[in-house]
Amino acid sequence: MSRLSRRQLIAAGAGAAGAVATGLVLDQYLWPLLDKEDLIPGSPPTVVLEPQAWTDTPDSFRFAVIGDNGSGGRQAMAVAEEMALTYRSTPFGFVSLLGDISYYGSFKKRFHDVFREPMGPLIDAGVDFELAIGNHDTALNHSDASIEAIEEELRLLGTPGRYYKVTHGPADFFYLDSSVPGLFGPGSSEQRNWLDDELAGSTNQWKIVALHHPLYSSGRHGPTFGARQQLEPILVRRKVDLVLAGHDHDYERIKPQRGVNYVVSGGGCKTTPVGRSRYTAMSASILHFLVIDVQGDRLTGRCVRADGAVVDRFTLRAREGR
Amino acid sequence: MSDPDRTTRHDERAQERGDARRHEALDLIAPPVYALLCVAVLLAPAIAITLSSDRGGMREAADADLVVASAVLGIGLAALSMWRLRSEEIRAVRRADMWIASLDSLVVLMFGATVLPLVVLWGFTDEHATMAQRGYPVVLLWSGVQLAAIVLAEVVGRVVFWWLEPHEQRASSRRRREQAA
Repeated sequence: MSRLSRRQLIAAGAGAAGAVATGLVLDQYLWPLLDKEDLIPGSPPTVVLEPQAWTDTPDSFRFAVIGDNGSGGRQAMAVAEEMALTYRSTPFGFVSLLGDISYYGSFKKRFHDVFREPMGPLIDAGVDFELAIGNHDTALNHSDASIEAIEEELRLLGTPGRYYKVTHGPADFFYLDSSVPGLFGPGSSEQRNWLDDELAGSTNQWKIVALHHPLYSSGRHGPTFGARQQLEPILVRRKVDLVLAGHDHDYERIKPQRGVNYVVSGGGCKTTPVGRSRYTAMSASILHFLVIDVQGDRLTGRCVRADGAVVDRFTLRAREGR
Repeated sequence: MSDPDRTTRHDERAQERGDARRHEALDLIAPPVYALLCVAVLLAPAIAITLSSDRGGMREAADADLVVASAVLGIGLAALSMWRLRSEEIRAVRRADMWIASLDSLVVLMFGATVLPLVVLWGFTDEHATMAQRGYPVVLLWSGVQLAAIVLAEVVGRVVFWWLEPHEQRASSRRRREQAA
């Protein structure tokens, strides 16, 4: 065999080293990134919906829930389109947004791409949107600039504050800011005290809490132990019926924990793997949203996948002892 | 008694015939295998995206356009790389140069075919979203970026091959240096 020249050695060495390094980078980082992100821009839904087609009564109402839907990509558009199609058959009056409504840039800059366009048919039909702030709706370090960004987001959505209470028929909704300053920073006891007081004063049939970080989860991020430590005693003591959360890009229904039901719904535009824990009732790594019907003391939820298939149903009874 | 010179010449000729047959077999098999590798590398990112959306429960064939676009480009690239290999095979003074250059080109393609779309899609999300909302076909963007990766890989392959091959100019300058020494 002839000996390799110096140039051949350099080129072959670079090629071999490059092949190994590139293979590792692709396998470990880049292909998984393509797999879990929603980077391909999508066309917005073009469905035209009948305005205010829902019929709420003092005793019943229907709403939709979506979390982590802020990419503006193909998958986000597909879920939004399915929501619009679902509205056509079973209209709902409002949507609970479980945070992370803007990826890849600030909400102010991306408002049109991640919210107005995908949710256009529902917005035009007069559907309301209620937001629980997510970690991607701001920077994790919570500088003054990120607080301003949140406030801009709240203003654009017409949301009353970083944490607030809304009443729909027989249910009281408590939207929380589960971010670092909201739940863990200085002054975070203010929100906890507010929640405790409001829950104590709530005499409605249903108490539903919506926040971004899940207290229980078998997904990639897993349970937010800090939030569990801060909030679970209040939720248990005040007999909360249902806690809705996002953050993990999957669907997971948790078996009742100390009397409280938890659902993780963070598959609004991306998916990441989800396992099963001792508390998992059902879990799936799917693009989805929820549709929830409340009729008196009965709540029925269904998890609708991006292709319209219903992958899970659950029914709850309002807790006694009010 | 056999003539030892005749035996040696006979052995040399047999060895040459064996080498030629091995080269012929390699020439026949290696270019299509290399072309297939190029196609696979080009298709991989589109397949990763499609698998993700299928698993998530998107309607059937939601990202099929990306796979089709990558496949069409892949067929073009396969033809181009086979043509390049055959042409270099004729011109190459040392066959190893051709394969070393092809390895380098494949590595650049591996990296570029995934990294370029990621950088372009992530770096300019707003611009692409606006275009997509106006009905601009995303598949054109995807094809354009992958085409850029192909061009980059081809340029690298050709430049490395040129750099590796001995040239008359280099040989004469080496001779001059040797004479001066």
